[in-house]
Amino acid sequence: MTRYIAQRLLILPLLMVIYSFVIFLIIQAPPGDFLTAYVATLASSGSSISADQIAALRHQYGLDQPFLVQYFLWMQNLLHGDFGLSLEYQRPNADLISEQLGLTLALALFSFVLTWAIAVPAGIYSATHPRSLIDHVLTVINYVGVATPNFMLALILMWLAFAYFDINVSGLFSPEFVDAPWSFARVGDLLFHIWLPGLVLGIAGTARLSRIMRANLLDELNKPYVVTARAKGMREWRLVLRYPVRLAFNPLVSTIGWYLPALFSGSLIVATVMNLPNIGPLLLRALINQDMYLAGGILLIYSFLTIVGTLLSDVLLALLDPRIRVES
Amino acid sequence: MVRDVKRRVALIGLAAGAGVLATGSSVLAQAGRYKEAASVTELVRAGKLPAIEARLPENPLVVPVVERVGEYGGIWRRAFLGPADSNNYIRVVYDSLFRFSPDGAKIEPKIAAGAESSADYKVWTINLRKGSRWSDGAPFTADDILFWYTDVLLNKELTPTLPGWIRNADGSAAKVEKASETAVRFTYLAPATLFLTAVANQDGADRTFAMFLPAHYLKKFHPAHAAKADIDKVAAAAGFKTWTELFANRNAPPENPERPTMAAWAPISRASDPIFTLRRNPYYVGVDTAGNQLPYIDEVRFTFFADVQALNLAAIAGNFDMQERHINMTNYPVLKDQEKTGKYRIITWPTFGGADAVIAINQTYAADPVMGKVMATKDFRVALSFAINRDQIKESVFLGLGEARQGVPAPWHPYFPGAEWAQKYTEFKRDEANKLLDGIGLTKKDAQGFRLLSNGKPATIEISVVPAFGAWPDVALLVGKDWEAVGIKTIVQIRERALHFKMGENNELMAEVWNEDTSAFPYTGNAKVDPRNAPILTMGPLWRRWYATSGKDGVEPPPEMKRIVEIVDKARTVGPEEQIKLSQELYRNWADNVYEIGTIGLTPMVQGVVVAAAKFRNVPTTLGNDWPLRSPGNARTEQFFFSK
Repeated sequence: MTRYIAQRLLILPLLMVIYSFVIFLIIQAPPGDFLTAYVATLASSGSSISADQIAALRHQYGLDQPFLVQYFLWMQNLLHGDFGLSLEYQRPNADLISEQLGLTLALALFSFVLTWAIAVPAGIYSATHPRSLIDHVLTVINYVGVATPNFMLALILMWLAFAYFDINVSGLFSPEFVDAPWSFARVGDLLFHIWLPGLVLGIAGTARLSRIMRANLLDELNKPYVVTARAKGMREWRLVLRYPVRLAFNPLVSTIGWYLPALFSGSLIVATVMNLPNIGPLLLRALINQDMYLAGGILLIYSFLTIVGTLLSDVLLALLDPRIRVES
Repeated sequence: MVRDVKRRVALIGLAAGAGVLATGSSVLAQAGRYKEAASVTELVRAGKLPAIEARLPENPLVVPVVERVGEYGGIWRRAFLGPADSNNYIRVVYDSLFRFSPDGAKIEPKIAAGAESSADYKVWTINLRKGSRWSDGAPFTADDILFWYTDVLLNKELTPTLPGWIRNADGSAAKVEKASETAVRFTYLAPATLFLTAVANQDGADRTFAMFLPAHYLKKFHPAHAAKADIDKVAAAAGFKTWTELFANRNAPPENPERPTMAAWAPISRASDPIFTLRRNPYYVGVDTAGNQLPYIDEVRFTFFADVQALNLAAIAGNFDMQERHINMTNYPVLKDQEKTGKYRIITWPTFGGADAVIAINQTYAADPVMGKVMATKDFRVALSFAINRDQIKESVFLGLGEARQGVPAPWHPYFPGAEWAQKYTEFKRDEANKLLDGIGLTKKDAQGFRLLSNGKPATIEISVVPAFGAWPDVALLVGKDWEAVGIKTIVQIRERALHFKMGENNELMAEVWNEDTSAFPYTGNAKVDPRNAPILTMGPLWRRWYATSGKDGVEPPPEMKRIVEIVDKARTVGPEEQIKLSQELYRNWADNVYEIGTIGLTPMVQGVVVAAAKFRNVPTTLGNDWPLRSPGNARTEQFFFSK
């Protein structure tokens, strides 16, 4: 096992180099560069900039260099731990990303916990009481949850909150708390605002998870070992939780690693629609504005987390289920 | 809706001419009766600020109020779209030596006390207010302009190319000298009649360096005044590679709250923060007519929105005290409906002339030479203009606002060429259009009724459109329908804006929908009538190349276009009377040749729908609205207030 992990880790730097090149290629693929996008932004808000000044800025930002030169400069800086300067913000990318990290993680963990806390019990209940009234209700909710795009759900909930309760639920803080220092009042304000985005972000995951849980558990519940245990007089809830549920967890655990990049990203569209101050909108804007080093930095971190997350899943799975072993 | 500002105005800017521009009331100063906000008085009492007499210059700027003398206090809630939207801040504070008046007709002193020119307009002297101070209390003097000139403008690393307004025809920079502690002299080789028009836009917009900089603060980041090794250390620690990056960052108020400003409010947080906050500058040079130091409002707070739709929803909900920027005109009916709740009122500021949707026809299109030649034929463009049913566009896209017109200045502007030219070819005459198209030889038609070119292919035009200000795609679709009715096949292509601009630059667009703004400023900034400018409408990218290469490459413009360029160059150096005559000729020429076909103009499409809270007062109901005017900055934002 240790050998397997070591192998996987050794291959990581190679993968990162390949990813970095692909990322840079894709970011550079749209026509124009940061300044084309900048000019377009200015023109679309009723102002303008002279050609001389664009040329000067293009030179200053090094955008007049060939693709490969730009890539190697970027890599060189990355190897020194330098994520470079954001073209749009004129501030170091590392600062911009780390500033958003806290709230991004808080929101993601909140919705992650919410997802599992709802999905697992709901899945178990549905499986142990198949075709009961509550199972049917949960099934309907689940299908709607899976089928509705979550940004749509966000818009509907925001509109309902505005139209019927006259509250604006965008953002994670009330205006007076946005740039206030941390205090109990601010945490309270965050908790008041975080439930809606948490719910929106979690709902599709909840639906999917509980369907998987239900299906897996139903398969397990009819197996002979369950019947045997039941015949031997084992208490029902203890039996279910101890054996079939553990097995039914396998597919869930194998996807847990995917949560790692998702935790970091925040849901891009939902966060943009709901005006959440996390990394999602930062990435979206960086891509639209062709702020390539910022976008590249964020995507590179995603890639890293995806690789690590997959590895983590594999390891967890092996720990949970003794039947899974590395083939030599 | 614009009728009430219809009066003919004195000539932009150079009305100042050889005379003296000066305001300021010495009466008030002698009386020693300036008043200030209670919060400021507290700071004075606590010994944190000097008394008001010591903070104001000897001759403060006296700002007229729109409705009445205001009351102190309050937080002005606004919205912005993040750091790339720093022009939102630029326009609110309008931090410049001179500024445009609310109607956009005059240039008035702001931070500066006034200016005078020599009789030949070659020498200009800007006078500063004696005793004026930066927001940190340091004196503001001629040295702050000289620092900009010597260490920033003439520094090749910071300013690789000189901006046009300070450049002589031979490429050298105009001479700038210190005449006294409070006076700076600018000497040009040729008459610079538009000097003040340019000065009124030197406010650090679009990442440029304004012509006055806080020398006492910035010197420590400049190698001419501090040890290079120390600066490099600071730069490296802050994550910058070169000193110029550090200098640019430290000079940008939206990114550096430490940087002193002269505006009514100074930033206390950054534009990359979730809320960008400005706080009252206790040293601001302006007072109202009763001697109250301005601004009235304590703070301006820009809340970050990642999405324009979310911003509009918040505006409809009444979450802002005054917001015109990014309000989509298509929301006008909803806003008018919500106005009834009494939370806010809606004011419209129509654009300052021009047209709010024009279809620019590429005059140097090379990818299809046969069609390119047709597009460069005047009768073809006139026919396309006659073919458009503008009433329909006005009603369905512009909600009945505005009027049909070509992209010429507004009727109240001295450059207005006359109604017959503003409305030239704007009547809906389908028969006339057909006759003109027949006249240029497009007589044969295919089975679908499309006219055939000499190479046997149907005459086809592609309109590229970016949904930048709301409903332009609808304009393009309606125009396309009208053009097909006279036998010109029309493809409407909606594009992502960066791609659209890139294609425009590469001469790949046939036609595009954009707006013709800045028509009142054909000689400064980035005017769209001048084919040498970029990036502008896709009127003739190869003409631009022809001018840039002195005729070696590109396409030679026709005589009419050459005349426009001639006028632009000449008008910069002549007196006011002749300048008006030349400008009117320019716009007669412009309307007659329809390089771009105007549809509807004078609507509040561009940042002109104002949502103002009921108690947010002194917002003018009419205002010249254009980028060079920095609207709403020219509404004199420092006199906005909250009534209790």
